[in-house]
Amino acid sequence: MAGAAETALVREDTTGTEAVAGVAIALAVLLFAFDVGVLFDVVSIDGTIAGIPTVALLGGLLVLLGGAVVSFGVGSFLGYVETEPSPDAGLVAAAVFTLVWFGLGGAAAQAVAGGSLLWLPAAAATGGLAFAVAVLTREDLGSTLPAGAVAIVVGVVYLTGTIGPAWAWNLGFEQQASITAPFLVPVATAGCALLAGWAAAKAYGGFGARGRRMGAYLLVYTNAGAIISVLFVLIAFTAFRGIPGLLNGAAVGPGVGPSVSVLGVGVALPVSVPFVTNGVGLLNDFQGVFPAIVGTIWLVVGAVAFAVPLGVGAAVFLTEYAERGRLTQAVEVATNGLWSTPSIVFGLFGFTFLVPRFAGNKSLLSGMLTLGFMLLPLVLITSREALLSVPDEYRDASAALGVTKWQTIRSVVVPAALPGVVTGVILGVGRIAGETAPILLTMTGGTFVSRDRAADVIGGFAFTAQPPFVTNPELLQATTALPFQLYALITAGVGLGDNVSNPTEFQWATAFVLLLVVLSFYAIGIGTRYYFRRQLRHE
Amino acid sequence: MSDITQTTEADSADTTETADAASTGVDGPSATGRSSTETTAGETDEHVREEWREYAFEGDAKFAVEDLDVYYGDDHALNGVSIEIPERSVTALIGPSGCGKSTFLRCLNRMNDRIKSARVDGSVRIDGEEIYQDGVNLVELRKRVGMVFQSPNPFPKSIRENIAYGPEKHGDIDTGLLARLLNRSDADERDRLVERCLRDAALWEEVSDRLDDNALGLSGGQQQRLCIARCLSVDPEVILMDEPASALDPIATAKIEDLIDDLAEEYTVVIVTHNMQQAARISDQTAVFLTGGELVEYGETDQVFENPHSERVEDYITGKFG
Repeated sequence: MAGAAETALVREDTTGTEAVAGVAIALAVLLFAFDVGVLFDVVSIDGTIAGIPTVALLGGLLVLLGGAVVSFGVGSFLGYVETEPSPDAGLVAAAVFTLVWFGLGGAAAQAVAGGSLLWLPAAAATGGLAFAVAVLTREDLGSTLPAGAVAIVVGVVYLTGTIGPAWAWNLGFEQQASITAPFLVPVATAGCALLAGWAAAKAYGGFGARGRRMGAYLLVYTNAGAIISVLFVLIAFTAFRGIPGLLNGAAVGPGVGPSVSVLGVGVALPVSVPFVTNGVGLLNDFQGVFPAIVGTIWLVVGAVAFAVPLGVGAAVFLTEYAERGRLTQAVEVATNGLWSTPSIVFGLFGFTFLVPRFAGNKSLLSGMLTLGFMLLPLVLITSREALLSVPDEYRDASAALGVTKWQTIRSVVVPAALPGVVTGVILGVGRIAGETAPILLTMTGGTFVSRDRAADVIGGFAFTAQPPFVTNPELLQATTALPFQLYALITAGVGLGDNVSNPTEFQWATAFVLLLVVLSFYAIGIGTRYYFRRQLRHE
Repeated sequence: MSDITQTTEADSADTTETADAASTGVDGPSATGRSSTETTAGETDEHVREEWREYAFEGDAKFAVEDLDVYYGDDHALNGVSIEIPERSVTALIGPSGCGKSTFLRCLNRMNDRIKSARVDGSVRIDGEEIYQDGVNLVELRKRVGMVFQSPNPFPKSIRENIAYGPEKHGDIDTGLLARLLNRSDADERDRLVERCLRDAALWEEVSDRLDDNALGLSGGQQQRLCIARCLSVDPEVILMDEPASALDPIATAKIEDLIDDLAEEYTVVIVTHNMQQAARISDQTAVFLTGGELVEYGETDQVFENPHSERVEDYITGKFG
């Protein structure tokens, strides 16, 4: 009977063989990490590591990995290693192997025979062979041989120097385009490591269902790890480039910082970071972006103050009062559409509608409102979802106590929905804080603003004898913000040469400060959400 | 006695209409049969006689219900129910699923107004005052007629806030910032109220040292007793209970039953239950609803359980159907 072979409930002692496969997986992971280093220039591709050229080292590791995988497969096939393989490697694996080997065979033939059409039959032959091995032989051979062989072939190509650090393949396009070693080597190595690592993981699980699960684990974890590391690399990249500019002229020591008045007593801070406390001025020792930071913060505060009450109010109306029907559907469609509207369109709206209404020039207020309009749909969507997810039991319980609907909404429904609302605000602030296009059209004035021209919204309020009794010229003046400043620095770079000694450093530092400002808004939002959640749940 | 037709619009401005008949009207959609000729499987065909539903008791009637009909859209959920409920006693409503007992209960404090498709015909009087007429103050009605739901539903607030919620919203207790600043905060009064309600609900001993903890951290039985305490906080005259122990374990159920017994000395308790032993244990009089939203038999609990007039009620009580 087919498939009636007994499967042991408890696997025999397999420590030795598992260790071999485990070493192969570790090798693959190491290779992958090393490779990411090469791709991001952390490890130089034409340098040497411990006296061995980087490419040769990669090649050697690949051959080692491929050899381990192939020998494990062959050992399992010959019965030296106890495994439970399926009859074949599976169609998906076969398709992947076929594709890889089709490309590899074609590339090799092209390299040997030059511009003839010979590459096609060669590619078909290698691809077909890989397919046959994967489909027709048992799983232990079918999934290790093609994968291990890829690693060995690529490794040998590196070792022999066929592809070295200086290698390049001119594609011959109309544009200047060629595939160079610094790109090809890490990418090909990563592919091989992934393929061979997957085969090694399968071998580690003893093939069969358990092996496939191990293989899937490896792919899933590698994928997750790669995504997370990209995020960290992005932040680290900006930080590394930005920190020198940020700390330009920074000093730590008693009394070096700017003086702050605390309860009427002037106290000099012990830390001085001119980049964030200075503006731009002829007499400054170090130039800074203080006005832009202040502008960004006021922008976000203004937009949130404008959009959150409106959005939450509209969500309360839509979920609690409005009949569910055409109107709510239309509003839903409209808000979803608004959320995906390009920011430059919001900017144009602000430019043509808001700017002429506020003093006729670009102003902080019109920037706030434009960004507020951008934030509104997301706040509305997330608040609506949050309100809908508040259990009806709360509303019933409150009604049964004779409490009116409005009081129920105010003291039970909205508090229960607050964490969801805050999540929406966090997401929205992340988007608007870095937005350049709308404020370019509605708010920004000069690029290099001196410290005394930073927006002082609180100090700008003044009382007058005539209506409207309170005026605030600061809100009606153009100012600057970090994303705009960065954009202007990179595209125009006006005056950089005179004012700033190292423009590149200045730009990266601006980008880093923008990142920090956005991240601190995140932190505030997450803290707020945590606070509200604590109130709702028993901890 | 004139029948007053009251549709739900009267209350729609002041209540949430998110619930629909299918989710909240426990007995709504499945109640199909109208008369005793349309029966569920196993139910005998018989004609309901008027005297089965007559129950003479001493003292005053808290509720007087006459010819009450409830429709969920086209569904006739409650069919001409007339009943008088004595005060300061426990009245159990029993019957198979979908027979209209929860619907009946929700008519007594007009919670059915919150279901958009529900339409109520007939007359319900509390202490002689009609509650289905124009100008009824729903806030006052629901303060007088409190309700405890099937699953415990405390607010996600502290135990103290849960109890004080009703009185604070009604303005009876003011502990707001302004009141504290003006030195007329009712904090002491609130604390006395919280203690009294929790003691009445037999929960004080268990939670007295953690009144500021979130109510969701209590066990299911404690949560249900907290809901009862919350219901007591607005000083009701009647407590309606919709299967209050169905989601609880036997020990918590026993505590709730003891509590109901105590409450009946001061309050009028109307309880819906699926558990016939429970009804027999705790109630003074029992009303049996059967298929079609019909009140079949009403009388002293001992009589209904030991010597029912109706053959169908006997079948139901002995477990032949339902």
